[in-house]
Amino acid sequence: MENHFKQDCLILLKDRLTQGSIDRRTFLTGLVALGALSAINGGPAKAAGGDLVVTNWGGDAVPAFKSAFTDGFGASSGLNVKIDGSGSTKGAMKAQFDSGTVRWDVCDADPGSTKSLGDAGMIEKVDYAIVDKGKVEEGFAYEYSIANYFFSYVIAYDASKFAGDPPKSWADFWDVKKYPGKRTMYKWMAGSLEAALMADGVPMDKLYPLDMDRAFAKLEELKPHIVSYWDSGAESQQLLRDGEVSMGLVWHTRANLVETDTNGAVSWTYAQGIMAPSGWTVIKGNPAGKDAAMKFIAYCQDPARQVVLLETLGSGPANPAAHALVPAKSKRLDCSSPENRALQVAMDMDWYAANSNKALERYLAMVAG
Amino acid sequence: MAGASRNGNGGLGTRALLWTLPVLLLTLYVVPFAGVISWSVTQPEVGFGQYWRILSGGDMTNVFLRTLRIAVVSTAITILVGFCLSYYWVMGSRLRQTILEVCIFIPFWISVLVRAFGWLIILRDNGLANGFLMATRLISEPLGTGRNEFAVIVGMVHFMVPFSVFPMATVMRKIDRRILLAAHGLGADPATVFRKIFLPLSMPGVFAAFVMVLVFSVGFFVTPAILGGGRVVMVAEAVFVQMFQTTNWGLGAAMSVVLLVLIGAIVGLAYRLLGLRSFVG
Repeated sequence: MENHFKQDCLILLKDRLTQGSIDRRTFLTGLVALGALSAINGGPAKAAGGDLVVTNWGGDAVPAFKSAFTDGFGASSGLNVKIDGSGSTKGAMKAQFDSGTVRWDVCDADPGSTKSLGDAGMIEKVDYAIVDKGKVEEGFAYEYSIANYFFSYVIAYDASKFAGDPPKSWADFWDVKKYPGKRTMYKWMAGSLEAALMADGVPMDKLYPLDMDRAFAKLEELKPHIVSYWDSGAESQQLLRDGEVSMGLVWHTRANLVETDTNGAVSWTYAQGIMAPSGWTVIKGNPAGKDAAMKFIAYCQDPARQVVLLETLGSGPANPAAHALVPAKSKRLDCSSPENRALQVAMDMDWYAANSNKALERYLAMVAG
Repeated sequence: MAGASRNGNGGLGTRALLWTLPVLLLTLYVVPFAGVISWSVTQPEVGFGQYWRILSGGDMTNVFLRTLRIAVVSTAITILVGFCLSYYWVMGSRLRQTILEVCIFIPFWISVLVRAFGWLIILRDNGLANGFLMATRLISEPLGTGRNEFAVIVGMVHFMVPFSVFPMATVMRKIDRRILLAAHGLGADPATVFRKIFLPLSMPGVFAAFVMVLVFSVGFFVTPAILGGGRVVMVAEAVFVQMFQTTNWGLGAAMSVVLLVLIGAIVGLAYRLLGLRSFVG
């Protein structure tokens, strides 16, 4: 689910580089900040002596990043960091563990997925003697993973039509009389059930555990007005920009881009947004050893590094100390800042760990039915 | 001596070559697939529960029925269009043949992704087709041609037509024109010549194209994902979801096995009923 978000961040970053809106150095720093780097050796990286393999969602090879990364992290840790861009999906992590030859040291993964894999005995517990629990937003230091950044599911809307009285809630999103036009929602379910329940009048602080029957009834109601359940972030952006939809449930990073692209003809709000974490996780039996992996995770908690991440990828810092360092022009993108968080609800990853398989299958059946 | 040794080496080399393909198939396909079959009856528990879920009429049955429906409809349209094109191509003048070759080969070389996006631009509500029809006042509301099953079928047909043309055109080209002339000379009108002589003689090509296109179409992934507005989930995508997102490998494996058996059944049936053997060689 949110693995799609990470791939999307990389696409955006590369777009900005090719458009010249950021320079290569910033681009590399952005990749470094996350370990969100592509495989450069043409194949999956393998951990050998002194190596640390970080797995992420890269797709495009960027030959120059290696030295930048080594300069950034390697110097302080003495570890030679290699990146595997093949994507740590839940299925891929399970395959690594099952095969008995784990090749990845640190994975950027969905905390819900890692919890269910962790409960099945496949994931190391986060060592909070090395990783600092105080350097992450409260509630996002999990047993099997720790938040490394945030992103939000928000309402984006056609401001040229609705500027006078812009939508402020999911109830408005569902109200096709007051806000006419087609809608788009996320194909991979995350955030959609929460939106449906809020539209149906469930208070923001009483969402979890999600009432699936109620949520699906509400989702069915809006179905005739949905022109497309978007799969890629680019698709959600295109639907809004070309006016195929007048409102969409989209990632805040993409919403922000459409707003810039259209000079404000499309706008968006954090009101009733759903803020989701991504997390670092370590598969049991990782080649570089548990401690090295934990040290890398601790290193990434540095607030300045997380601001670079926000500047380049648009994802909100996991470390609350980072918000003070965010420049004014980027405050709107900072989805986890106290001002923006106050408007939103935080996604409960424990609920996803226990229910997402069943919910996703039901959601896809509803979408296709 | 030299000759004998060369012969001996040649014999060994030929034998090695002969065995390469079966060995490759066995190690790279049969053995791993045996693993897939074993997952389908062992994960998460031993038994046929995953197969039951596919066959019992729930969401997974719907995925298979939807896939078969789209596959059959798009195959039928593809064969019809492909047949007309092949006929035109083979029977036409030199100029007509050249024009058709360009029209068939150019889309054939364009990536499936680009073609799907191209159709999206044409078919969506504010796209070229609806825009033109509304500007000419033929319609007042968009027809809803984009981002649904209709769009998926259009995209799939466009992708598969070249694949159907090649086997049909090959068979049509082999038809002895003198037979058609003889029929004509004996007083048959063009419609009768086509119905009684040309059509039966071109059937082997039609069947070959039918099997190939049908097998192709049950496995589509990208086209439905782009043109279906997220709604048109076919088997290939459903398997992907089970493998990478829900990690219910047993169900993903069982779906793959059912898909393979279905394709095998289609090919086997065509082979038996239609005498595929006669035109495979």
